[in-house]
Amino acid sequence: MQPLTFRKLLFHCLLLLIILFLVVVVALKFGAVPVSLYALGRDLLRVVLGQSSQMSSDYGLIIQNIRLPRIILGILVGASLSVAGTSFQALLRNPLADPYVLGVSSGAALGAIFALIAEPHLTLPPVFAALLTPLCAFLGAAATITAVYFLGRREGQIDSTTLLLGGVITASFLSAIITFLMSTVNSGNTRGMVFWLMGNLSTSFQKSTYWFLAAGFVAATGVIYASANDLNLLLSGEKEAMHLGVDVRRVRFVVYIAASLLTGLAVSVSGAVGYVGLIVPHVMRLIYGSDHRTLIPAAALGGAIAVVIADTLARIVVAPSELAVGAVTAVAGAPLFIYLLRRRPA
Amino acid sequence: MKTTLPPRLRPAALAAFVAFLCAAAPSHAQSATHPPTEPPPFREVVDETGRTVRIPQPVRRIVSLAPSLTETIYALGLQDRLVGDTDDCDYPPDAQKKTKVGGGINPSLEVIASLHPDLVLATKSFNRPETTHALDQLGIASYATDPHSVADIIASTKTLADVLGVPEAGASVAEEMQHRLADLQQRLEDLPPKRVLFVVWTQPLISTGQHTFLADALHYAGAISIVDSSRDWPQVNLEEVARLQPDLLVFAESQPGSTSREMEKLAILPAWKILHAVRDRRYAAISDAVNRPAPRIVSAIEELARQLHPAAFAEKPSDSKKESEKENPPSRPVALRASSPNLFPPHRYSSSMGGCACSR
Repeated sequence: MQPLTFRKLLFHCLLLLIILFLVVVVALKFGAVPVSLYALGRDLLRVVLGQSSQMSSDYGLIIQNIRLPRIILGILVGASLSVAGTSFQALLRNPLADPYVLGVSSGAALGAIFALIAEPHLTLPPVFAALLTPLCAFLGAAATITAVYFLGRREGQIDSTTLLLGGVITASFLSAIITFLMSTVNSGNTRGMVFWLMGNLSTSFQKSTYWFLAAGFVAATGVIYASANDLNLLLSGEKEAMHLGVDVRRVRFVVYIAASLLTGLAVSVSGAVGYVGLIVPHVMRLIYGSDHRTLIPAAALGGAIAVVIADTLARIVVAPSELAVGAVTAVAGAPLFIYLLRRRPA
Repeated sequence: MKTTLPPRLRPAALAAFVAFLCAAAPSHAQSATHPPTEPPPFREVVDETGRTVRIPQPVRRIVSLAPSLTETIYALGLQDRLVGDTDDCDYPPDAQKKTKVGGGINPSLEVIASLHPDLVLATKSFNRPETTHALDQLGIASYATDPHSVADIIASTKTLADVLGVPEAGASVAEEMQHRLADLQQRLEDLPPKRVLFVVWTQPLISTGQHTFLADALHYAGAISIVDSSRDWPQVNLEEVARLQPDLLVFAESQPGSTSREMEKLAILPAWKILHAVRDRRYAAISDAVNRPAPRIVSAIEELARQLHPAAFAEKPSDSKKESEKENPPSRPVALRASSPNLFPPHRYSSSMGGCACSR
């Protein structure tokens, strides 16, 4: 394997970084309130240079409080899902694996639905009430991760096939519970549950939530990236990797937990945004090869680009209404996946 | 569905159909064409979804598949004929004691059949066509309504009353609804409508489109929705709302007090607190009766109008014109809970029309 210098990595990712920047600029421009890029750039520059503390009030508040946070959320969710997908595909050595394959999203959805059912009956201070749904979603995801981990163990270590099957079964079991709850619980919040399941980036959070998400993303991705070499070796087979000195048990455990956490974080704030974690890793692998030292950062950037584009479309296609971003990624993702499937080298 | 009648019944069915058509017209024409001595065993009517249905006469046992229809049956005074309703039918409280046939989406056909109803009532927005098809297969008559405006709700109530054989009660309920709405219109006619955001759901933001009876109800209450969408329940872009800055947010609450908690929750979120209405806690919370196309919607409309235009209700209707309305200064938090929880109140102005209370 060739040595990878920081310079080489930067070179690989530079193009993606530029694309992401352009996509963010376009996403900032389009929306319900028209914004001229020149004025926006000038204002941003002034704020950055400290010449003024506020952007022009015409659109400043909307950009600052609605559009920019939403783009940042899109970047974090897309990057998380894509890195998680890349990790699961390597870990399970299965090209169909995506962040949701192990049931994390169903667990998160169940947690969120419990929160939506319980919330009207609890009298919570507003700060906590606003966080209840994402928090319960994350707890649901964490519980599912733990349960599937124990289901997937054989003779004290994770077995890929058992883990995969355990995850799939857990997912369908949890989905059945969700269906049951939605058709039996008589609650005004049923409508909200449906929207939650569709995947949405329009939810607004307090600033601290974004910092928390970003910190979680950096930590979990860092952990996975530290195992990038081991993941490369795992691709050639478990026995081979073991003979080359990889602690397969440890790598599996660490990557499994980190990737699941990434998924849990993303799902708890956006619901289930499909196909990003499945397709972006495949596309990046076609372009950059399967060296995880390059693939993981590329997938993170690619996922961010994909979700920001999808969400911008979701915002503007039927403006002033909007679509669920999960619907956009599914509509674009399924045909793209078929295309990739047909043209892959035999 | 192809309907075949035995030859001897055909004239009777035809007579019934003619009688129905006449009943839909002004009611004084009815007694002339309807022979009171020989009620036909079946009536053939076209329901609001365009289906032709044969309804056994008289209708003695009714199953309702929607809360709005249950409320309408009570408003028409036919509660004794109601033998079953859905899990969601919670108003009036007595409706909760009826035999439950399940949810509106997935009612139990077995329970419905076991109740031997003469007629099952459905409504297009709340029930699935599969349910009425299945009832057809079982030979159980069903009649579906599909109102899209407040006027539709009134007309639909009237027609339904006629189908159920109580045209007088229908006329009286419809008349009362029209009377109360006319009174409102008179009070509000010179006031500029409030620009409101009707909130169905907050995260994501779901509101109501322009072609729903809900949007129409807002008009009657002296409000206009800032959301311009042809879809019934559009997901609305919050940026658009921030650009249009509604005067107030309107919530339909199923639990009293839930709205003020919701507002406090929104007020800490960056995307929501830039709405002036959220910052200043300007909102109206009305009964979720506004979500139900039933006679009680008029009470919800009145409730909303009182919260939006308190000045118009300060004086008698005759001199409530011109100078009465003052805009609320945006800095003042407005407490907008309705004082009366009684949503089917004995009507203040009903004495002039007389007799409408008997229809309950």
